[in-house]
Amino acid sequence: MSTAPSVLWQKNPALAWREIDEETVIISPNDSVMHELNDTGSFLWKNIDGKKSAAELAELLVASYEVTPDIALSDTQSLLEEMSSRKLVVPVPATGGELR
Amino acid sequence: MDRLISRTVQKHRPLSVHFDLTYRCNERCVHCYLDHDDHGEMTTAECLAVLEELAHAGTLFLTFSGGEIFLRPDLYEILAAARRLHFDINLKTNALLVTRERAARLREFRVRRVQISVYSDIPEVHDAITKVPGSLQRTLAAIPLLIEQGLQVKLACPLMQENLMAYRGVMALAEKLRVPYVLDLTITPMMDGSETSLAHRVSVSSLLPVLQDPALHACKPQPDSHLSSAPKAIPAVAGSAVSSGIESSAYEDLPCSAGHNSCYISPYGDVFPCVQLPQAAGNLRHKRFAEIWYHAPRLERLRAIRESHLPICSRCEIRSYCERCPGLALMEGGDLLGAYERACDLAEQKARLAGLADPVSALHQERAASSQTTTGNKIAALVTDFSPD
Repeated sequence: MSTAPSVLWQKNPALAWREIDEETVIISPNDSVMHELNDTGSFLWKNIDGKKSAAELAELLVASYEVTPDIALSDTQSLLEEMSSRKLVVPVPATGGELR
Repeated sequence: MDRLISRTVQKHRPLSVHFDLTYRCNERCVHCYLDHDDHGEMTTAECLAVLEELAHAGTLFLTFSGGEIFLRPDLYEILAAARRLHFDINLKTNALLVTRERAARLREFRVRRVQISVYSDIPEVHDAITKVPGSLQRTLAAIPLLIEQGLQVKLACPLMQENLMAYRGVMALAEKLRVPYVLDLTITPMMDGSETSLAHRVSVSSLLPVLQDPALHACKPQPDSHLSSAPKAIPAVAGSAVSSGIESSAYEDLPCSAGHNSCYISPYGDVFPCVQLPQAAGNLRHKRFAEIWYHAPRLERLRAIRESHLPICSRCEIRSYCERCPGLALMEGGDLLGAYERACDLAEQKARLAGLADPVSALHQERAASSQTTTGNKIAALVTDFSPD
């Protein structure tokens, strides 16, 4: 799975999730597994909207947290990779269509 | 999961909500605790407003139940709203009205689990409980339709006099369908407090074969859990299996989750700590959910209760075998903090099965002591009466 800075990301629409006190809890309905994101993970999750790439998400992180651009990009890509492997996020198809 | 439970209990976030959409039902189960007449159910708009408020308050696990939910003509509208708001959606139904098309709609709304009441694998037994001829056949016909859609199905079988020994059949049925099941030993009084439903309850001694059945102990679900560790500026996601949503050791010093991070909403908008604790904290037609949840005196009082406050149960030597329910303590014993006969009898039975010699609950110890004292006083009185001056 490519987490190249230019790929746009969206949340997997099948998921149930809730932000509770700045931490996000996500349930994947197919396997009933619960995932938890801390506040920075939640910050990124809120901003994953199908219109932003890893690079753009990292920029938002730099603007809100004390982190260098390099580390922000590297960590954002790592998180997207892990979330992608768990099918929590999916890349927006090249045609721009939404995943149903 | 424990961490989520701990922080939602600590901050009183309503993580899990049981929302009955209607009390109307197309079955008339002999043990049911509901009045099935419609006394003014919330409208579609009211239900949707409630969902908005719950999402805002932090509810994730949402169970729609009834009555029979498919009798709500606006069920899909409500489910669509729940999906839009990203709830983890679970349903409880008798599945009589489930068709292939309806099962597909449930999939569209990303319903995670559908719990279906099955009282026996024998039609005569099941149908005698539901009072609907052919109901088992219809319920069983619906299950594959739901499974085909990838929905998780769970069988629920409350045990009562009419079906006590049918549980093995339900277990076999679940195994054949490859779905989980739950056997429920609880038959509750009616919501209005009357005890007509209790006539169907099985005595604790009659439950012995069920409690002793090794097959049941072998089938307890063992959720696998794993945590990833990634020491980075943005720690990675942590994942763990979700079973019923809110079972956890994080409730250790609390009587239960009711009013701490879970609650029940009736079709009429009443907010209760739990479906088994019929003390309404407020009504959503008059107040917003957050106002009731965070400020209702009844909920505040409930939240202050700790296990150590229970005058009898806190000193019970077999408390670890007991599944005391505060709601049933109130309904059956008249005291939210009290002990009640059924729980004590069951705890003693379980402790005995676990190998304890002659276990006696604190309630029964107290009664025995009190009875001895009373008898002793009577004798003393007689002695006094007949003793010479």
